[in-house]
Amino acid sequence: MIFRRLRRILPAFLLAVLLLVTSCRAQDTSPYAKTQQESTQRGATPAVARKAEQGSSFNKFFPKSADGYQVVAAQEKKGFAEYKLNKGGKNVAMLSINDITSTPTAKDKYQNSTEKIAGYPAAEAPGKGTGILVNNRYQVKVASRDDSFTKNDRVAWLQKFNLSGLAQLK
Amino acid sequence: MSQTKSIDELVDNLSTKNVTVYLLRALDSVVPGEWENLVGFENTIRAVTGETDKKTVKKIRDRALDLYSDRSLPYQQAMWIYQTVDNADSALGAAAMANKIGEKVGFLSFLNKLTPKADTVQTIDLAIKLVAELIAFSKMNGSAAIELDDFKAALSSYHHESLIRMAALVCVDGLVPLGPDFIMKVQSTLGGLNPSLLQQNSTFQNLSNLIPGGSAGDKLGFIGASFASVQGWMGNFVGSHHLTPQIFLGNLKQYVDIADDKLDYVAAFLDMTTNYFEHTGTQTVARRLIERAASEI
Repeated sequence: MIFRRLRRILPAFLLAVLLLVTSCRAQDTSPYAKTQQESTQRGATPAVARKAEQGSSFNKFFPKSADGYQVVAAQEKKGFAEYKLNKGGKNVAMLSINDITSTPTAKDKYQNSTEKIAGYPAAEAPGKGTGILVNNRYQVKVASRDDSFTKNDRVAWLQKFNLSGLAQLK
Repeated sequence: MSQTKSIDELVDNLSTKNVTVYLLRALDSVVPGEWENLVGFENTIRAVTGETDKKTVKKIRDRALDLYSDRSLPYQQAMWIYQTVDNADSALGAAAMANKIGEKVGFLSFLNKLTPKADTVQTIDLAIKLVAELIAFSKMNGSAAIELDDFKAALSSYHHESLIRMAALVCVDGLVPLGPDFIMKVQSTLGGLNPSLLQQNSTFQNLSNLIPGGSAGDKLGFIGASFASVQGWMGNFVGSHHLTPQIFLGNLKQYVDIADDKLDYVAAFLDMTTNYFEHTGTQTVARRLIERAASEI
């Protein structure tokens, strides 16, 4: 008797619980909700590919301080190395090399561009930057951080990297 | 040490109006034009990179979030360090803001809630904050070891929120509580400090594993060496900006109704109501992530 009554009540009870639970979950309408959820989950995909080149391998290919500009180390990690380019104590540009194994879509902008610098595929890059792709793997970038540092300056500084040396890096 | 909040959430939730922001604004008069209170992750992306295209901003943001969430990378740990060295009492900070007299934060009504720190305790606080900066800097730079010379060299090219953080360290944790000769005082106190006093400091206990050295004595040696290596920079900073407690307090008076003759209490008030290390540290971690993300995509 009790069992039969329970069988009658249970589906209604479960439905009520389900409705309560789903209505309590606020919908996140932010365009970044998915990325945020993915990136804060435990065991999220590593942000740097396992076979990415060590950032320390890139250091020797960066330009040296010259003509009133100082090249100052900023970050060096697996797959990435970055230097600040300062003039008169002010940061005017960022110089970087990264292994695009971790960010393969970075290649797209070079494939869609006909521009070349020092013989390498070149393209305008995010954040007021100009980049070139060496060996289809190493992205070399100069990004302006001051309006006085123009595209011509970026192109000139890209050519100061030891690009032929970087091209030898396997 | 892993973070429960994502970096965009942390940057989105930074305050635009509290005692910390007032303090940092007061310091902006010391190093003009260095600091902008960047709040909001997207806003920070646009300010740091100059990028305006929505799709590109989103790409930079997505990559930055991925980098931050990867716990094998140092960004979460750096964030934890910046959060750990601040021990502001948020209730007192909120009460201070609620108790504004005109446009200024009231100070005198808090005197009974404040206990000035003994010089030795203040010295330890200052030195540990400096070592925290050194460790966070080394981690974000990607150095395998903590190199004092690298840090010393990099200090001269500190800008933006990083420079303001160091200015706050000099003023709030040095000049105001310890006086104009704080560098000498700290050096001599650290030189004669019993390691057991260091072990009683809660911030030291939290950061201890990250500080090089096997014993508390070794770690104290490292802290002393770290301070010694940057004292020249600090002395220059104070000298070149003609900084005195009075000049700094004169700037702060625009925002906080303080009394000149109670420097110990002003120091305790700022210690309890501000989290300048965490606030500017969040902005530094965000900047580093954004610079890297923009370079990599």
